Amino acid sequence: MSFLRLEGLVKRYGDFAAVDNVELSVEKGEFVSLLGPSGCGKTTTLHLIAGFEEPTQGRVIIDGKDMTDVKASQRGIGIVFQSYALFPHMPVAGNVSFGLEMRKVPREERKRRVMETLELVHLQDFAERFPRELSGGQRQRVALARALVIEPEVLLLDEPLSALDAKIREDMQIELRSIQQKVGTTTILVTHDQSEAMSMSDRVAVMNEGRLVQVGAPYDAYEFPEDLFVSNFLGKTNLLEGRVVARNGDKIKVQIGEAEMEARNANVALHDRVKVSVRPEKLHLTAPEDGALRGRVITRIFLGNHWVYQVQSPIGNLLVTQQNTGQKSAKEGEEVGVSWSVDGIRVLLGEMNNG
Amino acid sequence: MAEPTARRRLLPPYLLSSPALLLYFGFFMAPLGMTFLLSFNSFDFYQGIQPDFGFHNYLEVVTDEYFHEVFLRTFGISVAVTLLCAVLGTPEAYILHRMRNPWKSLFMLAILGPLLISVVVRTLGWALLIGDSGVINEALLGAGLIEEPIHLIFTTTGVIIALVHVLIPFMVLSVWASLQKLDPAVEQAGMSLGASQFTVLRRIVVPQVMPGVLSGCLIVFALTASAFATPAILGGRRLKVVATTAYDEYLNTLNWPLGASIAVLLLIANVIIIASYNKVIERKYAQAFK
Repeated sequence: MSFLRLEGLVKRYGDFAAVDNVELSVEKGEFVSLLGPSGCGKTTTLHLIAGFEEPTQGRVIIDGKDMTDVKASQRGIGIVFQSYALFPHMPVAGNVSFGLEMRKVPREERKRRVMETLELVHLQDFAERFPRELSGGQRQRVALARALVIEPEVLLLDEPLSALDAKIREDMQIELRSIQQKVGTTTILVTHDQSEAMSMSDRVAVMNEGRLVQVGAPYDAYEFPEDLFVSNFLGKTNLLEGRVVARNGDKIKVQIGEAEMEARNANVALHDRVKVSVRPEKLHLTAPEDGALRGRVITRIFLGNHWVYQVQSPIGNLLVTQQNTGQKSAKEGEEVGVSWSVDGIRVLLGEMNNG
Repeated sequence: MAEPTARRRLLPPYLLSSPALLLYFGFFMAPLGMTFLLSFNSFDFYQGIQPDFGFHNYLEVVTDEYFHEVFLRTFGISVAVTLLCAVLGTPEAYILHRMRNPWKSLFMLAILGPLLISVVVRTLGWALLIGDSGVINEALLGAGLIEEPIHLIFTTTGVIIALVHVLIPFMVLSVWASLQKLDPAVEQAGMSLGASQFTVLRRIVVPQVMPGVLSGCLIVFALTASAFATPAILGGRRLKVVATTAYDEYLNTLNWPLGASIAVLLLIANVIIIASYNKVIERKYAQAFK
């Protein structure tokens, strides 16, 4: 039995379904990300779990108890808001202690737990400061401490890192993940940042237009996207249109323009119109005569640990990345060959929802 | 070389602000200064204002019990009106803040609308309502709820009621402005931590809009202490406040110097109260807000 279950959750505003039949089971201690573009219903889903909104249909079940009709203040859920929503008129210790005061925890224990939680987020020396006097990253930690101190059954993180600058964001990702693993709280993260979702969570749940499109481990969702939206949204990909021209067991041949690509797929039939998704890192640049395709480098961008090329080829412009391992890199305008292995190719049905 | 350039650079700002400065000095500072000088002159029933100098007017105000009563009444009314405005205006502003359009705009208009009407007209309206044979008393008498009219007009209560009505928009606006700065997620945060709606209001919303409430109080207090039209119309001949007393000295007794000294004392008292109030507030909120 899962710890947190969303059963057929629907939220309608007039005719518009912000959340459309969401089914999700989260195990105790698991870290799941709700990932999707803005307006996909992920924040509404979070508000339904928190109890800030009532679902039109469906149920929210936590630890076997139906929470659908329970008030937000009675659910025992910790939330970290996008804006942090700290209480500006209280010092850090007051912010963290608030939830304990509401639970009528005795003064001495309250003090002890506040300090313990502040130590957990490395803010023990800032207890007397006011939120106004803290940096963005520190406010973020206060918000986390405030949510964790009540020992919530579920921790909800609503785009918690989006207001931080890139460097601090990366540090906080690692720290958030390690804190979550230390305290073992079941956690739902809402984010539109796919790298954030993939780096922190045990599973990602990709949402689009109010629906859950795919739920799985980050690696599986990235490597085996079930539809075009997921393959496009999780990382970068080359999407090519083609038609299945030969089939032998699970081996198929797809015609794309003048070229043919081999792939493995059991779900498509002969003559199906399909989309082929190839990740940039699954393509390799070779000498012109060694590749499966010939092409010409149009642009080249150096990003430190890797290069990104745009290669003009008979099947369209391809995005190719190459690790910076010290080898010579192709210049702009240079003739190159492009090769790949059959296992790096994903074939998806063409008429699928493309977001 | 450096000096002329610096002077030339200073000239445009002074030139540009000179119309406003002239207006300010001509129509505000000069009359105020003249009132101040006038308050040291003396007055003779047969010869009018004497251009001498002395503190006798102030001495008269400070020692005469009649003036004590007037000053105390004025500040009593001011405190009562300020407290009532705070108690009524803060929830009013919060409700307004939580409303959705079109109701929000409609109620905003209802609250601000009275500001578009002259205070005199509004006060006369109150006179019609609360008079001994006014709408309220007639209705209650007609319904048999009371046997004789509730005496409100020419009483402190009547003046306070009308002043609260006149001044509450200032309180609502002031609180509303600080509610606009409130992060809506803060209330959700409070609820998620286990606070009831009431606790969220008491411990999270009210403390954050307190600066708005307090500055609203300041405006309302200052305006009540110097209010003239409402106490003059609803207070009648006997219920004097400082502003109407000064008016009487000027226009009935024609003792301008005494009237001037009353006005100056009111100004000084107001400035002292407001300045010390501000200091206390600033000290209290220096750390959390800025």
